[in-house]
Amino acid sequence: MTMFNRTDKPSTDAAAGTTTPPQQPTASSPAPAEVKRPQAYAQPVPSPAGTHSVSVISKALKITGQLESTEDIQIEGEVDGDVRAVSVGIGPNAKIKGTVRGDQVQLSGQVDGKIEAKKVILSRTARMSGDVIHQDITIESGAYIDGHCKPDYGKAETKSAGPKPVAAA
Amino acid sequence: MPQPVFRNSAKAPDGRGAKAPDKRVQLPSSELGSALTVVGVLDTEGELFIHGNVQGRINAERLVLGRRGSVEGDVVARDVHIGGRLNGRVFALNVTLDDTADVSGRIFHNTVTVAKGARIDGRMPWRPPSYFEALDDQLPETKS
Repeated sequence: MTMFNRTDKPSTDAAAGTTTPPQQPTASSPAPAEVKRPQAYAQPVPSPAGTHSVSVISKALKITGQLESTEDIQIEGEVDGDVRAVSVGIGPNAKIKGTVRGDQVQLSGQVDGKIEAKKVILSRTARMSGDVIHQDITIESGAYIDGHCKPDYGKAETKSAGPKPVAAA
Repeated sequence: MPQPVFRNSAKAPDGRGAKAPDKRVQLPSSELGSALTVVGVLDTEGELFIHGNVQGRINAERLVLGRRGSVEGDVVARDVHIGGRLNGRVFALNVTLDDTADVSGRIFHNTVTVAKGARIDGRMPWRPPSYFEALDDQLPETKS
């Protein structure tokens, strides 16, 4: 650890110190060479983590249990359990038994349980059995819903943004 | 009635094995991203790529565990390719361990390839192909 810290600090200090004086007399050649080095070290570390951001659950996959992601999930298969992600896409042949939570949920398949999301889109092939808790909902013609659609403006951001329709009802 | 874990392979003895390449093309593949954590059972007749975190049993035709991926639990598959961390047992006909693999547990295999640099903590018992075809949902009890 200490070795890495040691080499990093002098190199950046040295780079900052050395680049500025030569840049003024010789404009192009030394500056790009100095800049490239830290990039080359930095690149291999974030790239493996960043490449596989979206998860795909294919139609042949059945999951019994919880799914949790800080990125997007596309589900074409079967999930028996809760799903939580930023954006959840549920394909036309997908089946979910459980609660689906996310910033955005797009449903074209079947959910038996509950949806809790800021933005909910039920497409024409959607089949929803259970409650939908949302801030913004789109229901296409043909979608099947057996349950309540409840708006939830409980978050602080939306309170200030507009009046509560819940209070009127 | 216990179902064979390899549903596709069950057809192989009475039919001809020549159809294998066709199936490989058709294999539906699932990908679990690095940000995804799954707690539970994953069951697929296709391919499964894991770059995230899985705690639980995995049944697949082919499993690829990426170098950032980690699995805690038993894996049953025809082909297993491990580049990440695995804590549990592996039951697979063909096992490949990358140089980044870090496995603790037993690896039941018929053929195995291990790259230089792979870390293995545990035994690697060989089994005939019939052993894997006879596996069902209830895995045999083994030590550790």
